[in-house]
Amino acid sequence: MFTFIARRVGVSILVLIAASFIMYMLTSLAVHPLEDLLQSNARNRAELIEQRTVAQHLDVPVVLRWLLWLGGVGRCIVPIGGTCDLGTTFTNQPVTELLPVAMASTLQLITASFILAIILGIVVGMVTALRANSGFDFTVTLASFFLYSLPSFLMAVLLKAFIALGYNDFLADPVIPLPTLIVIAIVLGLVLQLLVGGRLSKRIVTFAATAVISAVVLGTMSALHWFTTPMLGPVVLPIIAAAIGFGIVVLLAGLKNRRAYLTAAITVLLGIVSYFALQWLLNISTLGTIVILALVAVIVGGAVGFFVGGYDRGLMVRIGALTAFFIGSLIFIDRLMRSWPYYMSLTGDRPIATVGSQTPGLPGDFWTHGLDTFTHLLLPTISLLLISFAGYTRYARAGMLEVLEQDYVRTARAKGLPERTVIVRHAFRNMLIPLTTLVATDVGALLGGAVITEAVFAISGMGALFNSGLAGQQIAPVMGYFLVIAITVIFFNFVADLAYSVLDPRVRLR
Amino acid sequence: MRIGLNRRSRLGVGLAAIGITALALAGCTDTTSTPGASDSPAATSDSNATVTVAVVNEATSFNFNTPDGNLDTNGFINYLTQPQFFTLDQNFEVVPNTDLGTVEKLSDDPLTVKYTLNKDAKWSDGEAMTADDLLLGWAIGSCYYNEDYFPTAGGCTGIDLSMPEVGDDNTSITFSYSKPYVDWNLVNPIQFPAHVVADEVGSTVEDIDSAITDTKRGGSNDLLKKVSDFVTTGYDATALPSDPKLLVSGGPMIVTDWTPKQSMTFERNPDYTGDHAVKFSKLVMRFIGDANAQVTALQNGEVDAIAPQASADTIKALQSAKANIIQFSQVSYDHLDLTMDSKVFSDPDVRKAFLLTIPRQKILDDIVTPVQSDAKVLDSQVFVPGQEGYDESVAANGSSAFDEVDIDQAKQLLAGKTPTVKLMYNTANPNRVDEFQAIQASAEQAGFTIEDAGTPDWSKKLGDGSYDAVLFGWINPGAGNAAFPQVFKTGGGGNYNNYSDKAVDALVDQTQTELDASKLLTLKEQIDAATFADGYGLPLFQSPGVFATLGKLKGVEQFGGQNSLFWNIWDWTK
Repeated sequence: MFTFIARRVGVSILVLIAASFIMYMLTSLAVHPLEDLLQSNARNRAELIEQRTVAQHLDVPVVLRWLLWLGGVGRCIVPIGGTCDLGTTFTNQPVTELLPVAMASTLQLITASFILAIILGIVVGMVTALRANSGFDFTVTLASFFLYSLPSFLMAVLLKAFIALGYNDFLADPVIPLPTLIVIAIVLGLVLQLLVGGRLSKRIVTFAATAVISAVVLGTMSALHWFTTPMLGPVVLPIIAAAIGFGIVVLLAGLKNRRAYLTAAITVLLGIVSYFALQWLLNISTLGTIVILALVAVIVGGAVGFFVGGYDRGLMVRIGALTAFFIGSLIFIDRLMRSWPYYMSLTGDRPIATVGSQTPGLPGDFWTHGLDTFTHLLLPTISLLLISFAGYTRYARAGMLEVLEQDYVRTARAKGLPERTVIVRHAFRNMLIPLTTLVATDVGALLGGAVITEAVFAISGMGALFNSGLAGQQIAPVMGYFLVIAITVIFFNFVADLAYSVLDPRVRLR
Repeated sequence: MRIGLNRRSRLGVGLAAIGITALALAGCTDTTSTPGASDSPAATSDSNATVTVAVVNEATSFNFNTPDGNLDTNGFINYLTQPQFFTLDQNFEVVPNTDLGTVEKLSDDPLTVKYTLNKDAKWSDGEAMTADDLLLGWAIGSCYYNEDYFPTAGGCTGIDLSMPEVGDDNTSITFSYSKPYVDWNLVNPIQFPAHVVADEVGSTVEDIDSAITDTKRGGSNDLLKKVSDFVTTGYDATALPSDPKLLVSGGPMIVTDWTPKQSMTFERNPDYTGDHAVKFSKLVMRFIGDANAQVTALQNGEVDAIAPQASADTIKALQSAKANIIQFSQVSYDHLDLTMDSKVFSDPDVRKAFLLTIPRQKILDDIVTPVQSDAKVLDSQVFVPGQEGYDESVAANGSSAFDEVDIDQAKQLLAGKTPTVKLMYNTANPNRVDEFQAIQASAEQAGFTIEDAGTPDWSKKLGDGSYDAVLFGWINPGAGNAAFPQVFKTGGGGNYNNYSDKAVDALVDQTQTELDASKLLTLKEQIDAATFADGYGLPLFQSPGVFATLGKLKGVEQFGGQNSLFWNIWDWTK
């Protein structure tokens, strides 16, 4: 194992150096660092050219310039003869200062969409695999290929037009007119009966029930001005909390496990009590408070499971902790919603933003700023999510189908295990193995690949750094970008290899 | 497995855990009073308004005037936060700004100019503006010292300046030029507060003053070197400087916040009084590079005004958003230059024949009209429309001969020859590709063979004689006359044509020392006419510019110069 790691690190460094050489040469061929000055008719043009030539070492042959750059990179690791130096832009900004800001922006942009894409992709892919070649399967396949093929700038334009501008306009008079309500209800009904499938009678029942329920819910929300004063409230929140507890029990323990019900019920009750009891604390919360509360919730939930115990104590702890976490999230969302009217008043009643990652100079507390981040990252996150999630559904579906064909799954079924256990415990875990590789390589690609989304939503991260570097005929920012992306890709490939050996006992690292 | 603690200890551990959690919670709460969930902010009145404007580039420095800091957004910041003795109007005329002081020309020969600060002129930290600041401003802009000191973006203002005189109880400074200097009225000898600079280099204002006055022309001085280094790089930044002294302002606004990659916030400078005080309280510049993102942000009320890089799509989107669209021509313009000493173009008839085939109106219609419907072909190498003298010069400079493509006359001039012209342009710029194709199609009708010398490397090849004609862009300074010797004089730094005309050489030299405005106009008209007569090349069109506003913001007006829509920010109301 140790020799494997040592060898990989050594090889990675060599790969990095070789790749940086190629990248440096290609970039230096592509850029013309003096272009803007040669076009200048300033009277000190010659001095300006001289100044930039010296500052950027343009008088040094390109191979030596690469060595100079490499030396600067080397000093980031071993600070001999100077400090870390990745070069400067033409505006005298050190790349070492630009990189952290750019990375932070990109991480903020991609994190939510990346996690959601993986979760949604796996869930949807699994469900389509379980119901392969059904109407649902075909619908999801069609939708995912459609989204996959949609160019990201078009997606961004559509999202801005409909979700930002459209929804903000709707908020000016947040009442859904009756004809619209009927159309929405019918469409929802049609979609859901397609998803549920089954015989004609079942489909009709599903359609009717969905249409009526959604019409009633939307009508009530519209009548109560829910869209401008949203909240879950003391009635809806307990209902949803109970549903979450029930769902977790069904998923993890099956319908017949009494202790699981007991764990979930106690946790749900504790959650509802703390919802009423802790509002004063939430009002003065900061991020730190929320993190502590989340930890406490998970620990309390786990403790409930531990004390309920039984023959499967570990499972009970998981159920308790998960239930507590989700109910905590629910309370969090409810509190965020309560700040919505104030936030709307701060943004001129147009809350959903189209550019940037925050409203400049926004007053208010943790909740207002939380909403501000939400409204700014909503569109870019959806945009990235819809595009990248399609790929995961495909892989998850194919992986699941393959695993379900395996002998051990047939054995598990043959010995009489419930289908839930077969899927969740045996098939699901093995399906994840090939996905780890995909996820690991995607991290690098995502970190550097959101160039268009970044530009359209004016969130300047790594993509913008690379793009503006190339457009501005500068090597230093491009190489800074390259360095981060290359290290990330190499590192995560390495992690994928390690993860493989942990997940799959057949794989040995030598 | 049982945990090895008795009941009491377990209770203790539990209580301790709860206590620690409670303490951690107490440390992590926000007990500053925040508005209740249903409170709404106080209604904003005019003077409390926040104006948000989209700008394309992020700021990189609080000093626009260095080679590295010379970026449009940095220029806006300097315009809003540094003292100005004058501003430019829409026609690029110099308008005195007497909020902080006055400029007075004492005599023409020798040219002496006196700058006097008002008694109540103050920096935003409360310190009075004094001649120390003027002296520092002079040192920065004069190129008086060692050539490595105080590098500037646009060249030095008065190579012929001698050491200025301080007077009027340390509130005035008098410049004497050994030769008359045409752009003396564009010299603004104040930029940074001397007391801040002194602090930053660990010295005193008095020491810096004496270093400035005691160091000889071309000489070196350790303290001046420090000052130069600080002024050149000390104002470069990637985030809000932690040192508030760097933000001390002498203009109508002060920088108060900067969220990297997102926005920069300015507040009204309470110490600034006069005609150029702003009528609202806060300005937010949001950095939005993408033109369409600027338009949707405007539509969504996130910004009040935008100045995007205009394209036909942008204009359409703005029209459908029902924005208030302000269209105008910028000072940058595309032009065709002929290499005067190339084999094919050393014959004046061939030059004229080639220029007669240039479809300038068609190029304008293809490239600019979709963005700016009232755009006109640019007819002068010296003036831009709106500047005093453009109309008169166009009437007399002979550009009318090239208004229409005249294939017949071109054929006559060629007299059966079929010269080959290597035409260079930037293949990475779609506009230039369109220009090339239009010219190629038209010129070949007259018998020219147009060789495609387009390359993304074009800028390296400028002036190297590898081409016969080139398409590229200049930026007309709007105000000022420094560019003429660069572009039109034999051997000038920007004279890639190898254009050489004795009469023009004399004319451009005269422009640099002419103080009489009407005589200067005559000189410029003569240069303009000479370039057309010599077949120097042709101006094609000015780049279109657009501003747009939506909502309550009033007062934004067109301006083609470098300060963009901020040029009249003191007239804005919201």
